[in-house]
Amino acid sequence: MARVKISEFRAKSILFSELDVKYYGLCVNRSDDIDKIISSLSSDQTYVIKIDQGIKKRQKEGLLFKDIKKIQLKDNARKLFSKGYDNLLIEEFIPHKEVEEYFLSLERLRTGVFSYYSKKGGVDVEQNKNEVRNDLLNEKTFSRIDDYFEMKSGITKKIFSVFEDQYFSFLETNPFLVRGGIPFFLDLAVEVDDTAENLTGIGWKRSDFVQAKLNLTPEESKVQSLADKSSASLKLKVLNPNGSIFTIFSGGGASIVLADEIGNTGKVDELADYAEYSGNPNEDETYLFTKEILSLMKKSTGKNKVLYIAGGVANFTDIRSTFKGVIRALEEYGDGLKKQGVKVYVRRGGPYQEEGLKIMRECLAKLGILGRVAGPEEILTNIIIKK
Amino acid sequence: MSININKIRSSIPQIIMIGDYPPIIQSIMDYDFLCQKESPSIQAIIGANKRGQRYFWGKKEILIPFYNNLDETPNHLNDRINLFLNVTSARRVNFTSEITVNALKNIMGGVIFAENIPEKNTLGLLEIIKNKDIFLIGPSSVGLLIPGKLKLGAIGGVEPRQLYNPVLYNPGNIAVFSASGGMTNELINIVSGFGKRISFCLSFGADRFPLTTPVDAILTAENDPKTTHIVYFGELGGTDEYEIVKLVRSGKIKKPIIAYIGGSISDHFPTPPQFGHAKALAKDKLETAKEKLEALKRSGVKTASSFTEYVKLIKSIPDVSKDIFAVDVNYLDLHIRKKALFASSISKETPSGVEILGEDQLTLSKNNSFSYIVSSMLLGRKIRSKELEEFTDLTLKLLVDNGPSVSGALNTIITARAGKDLVSSLAAGLLTIGKRFGGSVNGAADNWLNGVSSNINAHDFVEEFAKNAKIIEGIGHKKYRIDNPDPRVIELVKWSTKLKSGKFLKFARSIEAITSEKKANLILNVDGAMAAIFLDILSEKEGFSLKELKELTKVEFFNAFFVIPRSVGFIAHYLDQERLDEGLFRLPTEEISYVKRP
Repeated sequence: MARVKISEFRAKSILFSELDVKYYGLCVNRSDDIDKIISSLSSDQTYVIKIDQGIKKRQKEGLLFKDIKKIQLKDNARKLFSKGYDNLLIEEFIPHKEVEEYFLSLERLRTGVFSYYSKKGGVDVEQNKNEVRNDLLNEKTFSRIDDYFEMKSGITKKIFSVFEDQYFSFLETNPFLVRGGIPFFLDLAVEVDDTAENLTGIGWKRSDFVQAKLNLTPEESKVQSLADKSSASLKLKVLNPNGSIFTIFSGGGASIVLADEIGNTGKVDELADYAEYSGNPNEDETYLFTKEILSLMKKSTGKNKVLYIAGGVANFTDIRSTFKGVIRALEEYGDGLKKQGVKVYVRRGGPYQEEGLKIMRECLAKLGILGRVAGPEEILTNIIIKK
Repeated sequence: MSININKIRSSIPQIIMIGDYPPIIQSIMDYDFLCQKESPSIQAIIGANKRGQRYFWGKKEILIPFYNNLDETPNHLNDRINLFLNVTSARRVNFTSEITVNALKNIMGGVIFAENIPEKNTLGLLEIIKNKDIFLIGPSSVGLLIPGKLKLGAIGGVEPRQLYNPVLYNPGNIAVFSASGGMTNELINIVSGFGKRISFCLSFGADRFPLTTPVDAILTAENDPKTTHIVYFGELGGTDEYEIVKLVRSGKIKKPIIAYIGGSISDHFPTPPQFGHAKALAKDKLETAKEKLEALKRSGVKTASSFTEYVKLIKSIPDVSKDIFAVDVNYLDLHIRKKALFASSISKETPSGVEILGEDQLTLSKNNSFSYIVSSMLLGRKIRSKELEEFTDLTLKLLVDNGPSVSGALNTIITARAGKDLVSSLAAGLLTIGKRFGGSVNGAADNWLNGVSSNINAHDFVEEFAKNAKIIEGIGHKKYRIDNPDPRVIELVKWSTKLKSGKFLKFARSIEAITSEKKANLILNVDGAMAAIFLDILSEKEGFSLKELKELTKVEFFNAFFVIPRSVGFIAHYLDQERLDEGLFRLPTEEISYVKRP
């Protein structure tokens, strides 16, 4: 449902293959046997080793080492892993001068695919903003960019075609070199439209998505895999594992309003998670989803824990059936929640709200964790403000 | 793309559903019913594997027709449709929307419900309506609501109890917009809670490229004479709000806007989470909730820094509307109605007897002939022409029997001689009816219909069948030949001179002219002649369009005119055999020759 970064390795593999350029890259995961992977490399040349997790400004942040000999690769890999990252990319180092470093970006806008480009690329591209040109890509402008970079005719069009066919949303290469009229991307970042997962043929897949975040918690991964299989939207982000304010929000817009209100109360530091479901998930889905948040809650060392089960007035999400799932999970964790003195605050409206709110109230009272249950007669954010 | 709300207000909304989504469809039906419209705005549903689906109209059920695609819908329906609601999946939504927009000449616009449409495809949807006076709202939109007039989507809710809210029926002066469906509904709820009323509201959907943008929506409200105030709920991510700022500054938008931008919480995190909506992630400072809110504020838009404050601002909007409409108290219990297991549009039981096609059975029987009742019941509505009644009468008489040697009669006779009862013997005869015996009236009708609809010439038509080594149903007889024609066919054709054009019979005869050249017994048979003449009557005298005739062949309507009279013949043969009582029949051995397969 959004733009997501794919690994540099995959992005380069896709693009280079379309341009008929040979590309060698080695992916190294923290759990891999690095000696074995490196063993195939020649000692006659040097290498670049860098984090491949969609991080910007790697050079400035010290997340990229270049001109590295084979025997030093392992040490450098360790250094990068020690910063908490999991995925590295090793490529051959291509000696070049700074003036050869060019910059090119493509982004999908409402009006079409828009490009920024400049011959003054590299780490200082931002200082040379005035040099940056821009064009909306089409048959008329392809050649302008080819000519500017002295690339062979048709190269920009090819890049554009890959961008279209592979449902890219954003592409940035900085720097890239042009040798013999052919571009060579040293650093490449690509964002794809994840809704097109099944439309790209042998291009990218979900497994190519990278996250800057170091590790998903087990709860986040479980929700992720639940969401992958569902037509509804299910999201969980852990913000503070030892927080005391837990949320199960519903509705993309309402969840933001509710989170804002927690921000307004000055308790952001206590906010443990952002969890949101919408699009009428079924009972089993809300059950499994809720279990993950309750699991986080159980583990948290926070004090005076509260759980907000809150959302707007739904249009088509069935309150009764979604709540049935939530209740099943609450019952499973009931004793633990009571022992921890958890209070649950509920606000919701929509189809079958009367039944939904009633069974929720009864469940919370029975479990001894009832804070308050409110319907749409109360303003959405009241549940956060008024205890 | 601005939407002409007043044009919709002055129209009679006629909606086609692209795809089936029962709770939403029912909610629109309920809304229309509670509005006291005479008939539902939903005219038809495009979906597979059904011809109709029952929905509640109030507490009663009515049938909404289903069609596989817009080629099958009757032309008068296509001409009438002015709005669509597309609930097909993200994978099919571009394809189905393009067809819809191009097929319906009076379409004003539609709503796209699907979530997870790739950005590129959404922009493709924009291309579809380029240079056309058509609006599209979505993707992932709950729709458009104009109080008392139109509910195009899940907007306002899908449960009957949600639809009792007076805000949905009484027009007011406040336009409400949000990317979020839930927040749109939340805001309607807030406006309603203060006793205020809306002029219209819509949710543009929270994708990156909404087809109707916030700016489009606000311009729509600016141009709408009924709107005095605009309530806008925005979120972090994207830069739409700066466009609004420009329009406000340039004086293009004069009506007061009350705005809140959700997502200030995001600034508290070093790497903010992707919130629920695709767009809800600030790429840079400009896209943060705070910056956007500040920019709006500087341009003179009334902004709130918290939701509570926002609600207060909404409360202060002057309200000029009066409630002129209340939901009928007799219908406040729609949520407890129950769907029946079966539906029938032929007859029903009444306290005093049975009603057939809307008329008391006794009255119907006293005043009409058997043929009138048979043809009306088979058609599912009372027939309008004397000709259909007459021709039905003729076929019922002509087809009662064709001698004891034909397959069906013979099977009845053999079964009767085996000592079986009436119904078993009749069934044995009936079960013989099929493509080769008696059951080709419908196949023949389908042939003539396809031929006439496609304007194909007779020669090509015959070639097509020859190429596929298929027989032409309606052509050919075991006994009769071109020089020794079937007297029944002669009789039927003689009758048909009463008709004007007789285009189906003409076509059938042109086929016969070619096939009988090839082989003398490839003549128009009784099935083929009947089929052609029935088609001609239905088309000329009963007003059936080609598409409607196609619907009849799909349900095997035409075979009924063989099955009914021939049942009489089979029963007669059964009774006859019973009276003769010759005992069990055994085929003499020499009548079966033992052959070896090569």
